[in-house]
Amino acid sequence: MSEAIQASSDARRASMRAWLMLSPLLAWLLVFVIAPTAILVVYSFLTGGEFGEVRWRFTLDNYRAILHSIYLVIFLRSLFYAAITTVLCVLAGYPAAYFIGRSPARWRGMLLLLVMIPFLTSFLIRAYAWFIILRQNGVLNSILEASRIIPTIFPHRIELLYTPVAVVIALVYAYLPFMILPIYGSVEKLDESLLEAAADLGAGPIGTGWRVILPLTWPGVAAGVLLVFVPSVAMFAVTSIMSGGRVTLIGDAIEQQFGSGGNIPVGAALGVALLALFLLSALLVQRRRA
Amino acid sequence: MKHVFVVIAIFLTALFLTSCSKHRAPAAELNLFAWSEYVPQEVIDGFQKETGIKVNYEAYDSNEAMITKLSQNPCGYDLVQPSEYAVENLIRRNMLSPIDMAQVPNIKNLEPAFRDLPYDPGQKYSVPYMSGTTGIVYNAATVKTPPTGFADVFVPKNKGRVVAVNDNREIVGWAFDVLKIPLNDVTPDNLAKARPLIQSWLPIVKVFDSDNPRAPLLSGDCDIGVVFGGDAAKLYEQDHKFKYVLPAEGTHQFIDNLCIPVGAAHKSAAHQFINYILRPEVSKIISDEFPYTNPNGEAKKLLSTSQLENPASYPKLEHSEVFHDIGPASQKITAMMTELRGG
Repeated sequence: MSEAIQASSDARRASMRAWLMLSPLLAWLLVFVIAPTAILVVYSFLTGGEFGEVRWRFTLDNYRAILHSIYLVIFLRSLFYAAITTVLCVLAGYPAAYFIGRSPARWRGMLLLLVMIPFLTSFLIRAYAWFIILRQNGVLNSILEASRIIPTIFPHRIELLYTPVAVVIALVYAYLPFMILPIYGSVEKLDESLLEAAADLGAGPIGTGWRVILPLTWPGVAAGVLLVFVPSVAMFAVTSIMSGGRVTLIGDAIEQQFGSGGNIPVGAALGVALLALFLLSALLVQRRRA
Repeated sequence: MKHVFVVIAIFLTALFLTSCSKHRAPAAELNLFAWSEYVPQEVIDGFQKETGIKVNYEAYDSNEAMITKLSQNPCGYDLVQPSEYAVENLIRRNMLSPIDMAQVPNIKNLEPAFRDLPYDPGQKYSVPYMSGTTGIVYNAATVKTPPTGFADVFVPKNKGRVVAVNDNREIVGWAFDVLKIPLNDVTPDNLAKARPLIQSWLPIVKVFDSDNPRAPLLSGDCDIGVVFGGDAAKLYEQDHKFKYVLPAEGTHQFIDNLCIPVGAAHKSAAHQFINYILRPEVSKIISDEFPYTNPNGEAKKLLSTSQLENPASYPKLEHSEVFHDIGPASQKITAMMTELRGG
């Protein structure tokens, strides 16, 4: 009897301790995840009035408004840009991560630092740096002209700035480190003896790469894909600047409702819809794994 | 789990309580919410140095965005910079606090033409900051036939060479001008009439930018555009090959003002700032950096002849209109433009 009481009080104390240790994380989740999401959800059911006005009256009109086909078009476009970005990030990020992960240990820190250095300045400022590179009399066209690639291969200067290509460049540039870092993590953990075993058993470099290295580093790639794809879908502002305000992505559409559109509840409804889609796809992925 | 909900509920209530806290420390601060590329850093520095009041400058790129943010954060700003139709809107919605003109003696420097304007009868709430027009700028070195109106800008042969202000009300206004619809007659019928015209214009435009439409013109990515007069004037100062014309179909004049929101926490600082920018020598700095039409008669006396003769700063206004507050109709504009531009 007393043993049982003792045990249950021990268990309670242990669980108390566990909660206590978890509390910083819980507080963080509450303040930065749950509360903003809750606010967004509440706003999405309120009535929008004239510019910026929000009335405390329940309505479903905002969700009706976002069923308009234009938002479907914009959303599919965002998915398309995010998919291209993710593929390009894998193609560019994998070799880079592999190179860093397989280089001598004393260099790795330095190389990783190079990957992360761009984070020291604001992304918006770095986007403007791309203006100087991509514009018509910019660095890129000057190099191509100096090396006679214009006019021998291309007849004219290449138009890149203010085109969809510039949007993709900005997205890849923004998220490439998020692909390199997790892949690097997997590559670094790669067991040398497995590669030797593959060679001993007669696998060539391609066979080893395809059947040993790639499957072993796959978790890193999967993490990278998630880290790049999800924020790419919702990216805004920079994409608008790079396309000269002509490519509207879902992030821009949401931002516009909170800004010059002046309909905050509709913006909130769009945000909730985007969030719901992410949650849904995450659930589907998880169920498939289980 | 129940506790979590209670905490969230408290949190939410706290966040939704937007009434202005009265016992905020009267710090020496001024929260200025103004157009981007409109208030020179030199003016802000000068004011800070003289008064010891720290200026926080937050920028916006359309009247609509400013009104939206101000209604969500009514106590967050001490000075806003609405154009005439936005002043009307803010007055109608009781969002502005009267300006005590006794604290702004320098208002005497304004030209009579910029006193007591129709959008603010009796001039209770607004003090003009700068004025200007929207018009056509072109690079005369590459554009051989000078454009005279919107009809010469938005033509297929200019595809990929045009820059335009990123402002939906402006763009719709240009279409109304071409179709001879009065600018403020924003009805569903008139919008439907303008829609196909705007739809045919959009693919011709290469860049939409209100903040710095000069950049693509200077870099040669564009050579013709519809921009605010101040930007055209600045281009002209840099190179006389950039010419400015007021569109033949009609144009509109805008007057941007300084106003104090009803919830402003630092009203005295706001009055001091308004009075400061009305000083002739300070107003001259604004003209030097952002060469719009200066409403300050005393400041104009300090400007050089070349500044006063800049055709984009001081154009000959013949048939110009003024935007008015059109209330909820402006959301119809947003909806139509989202459909046209997002599709």
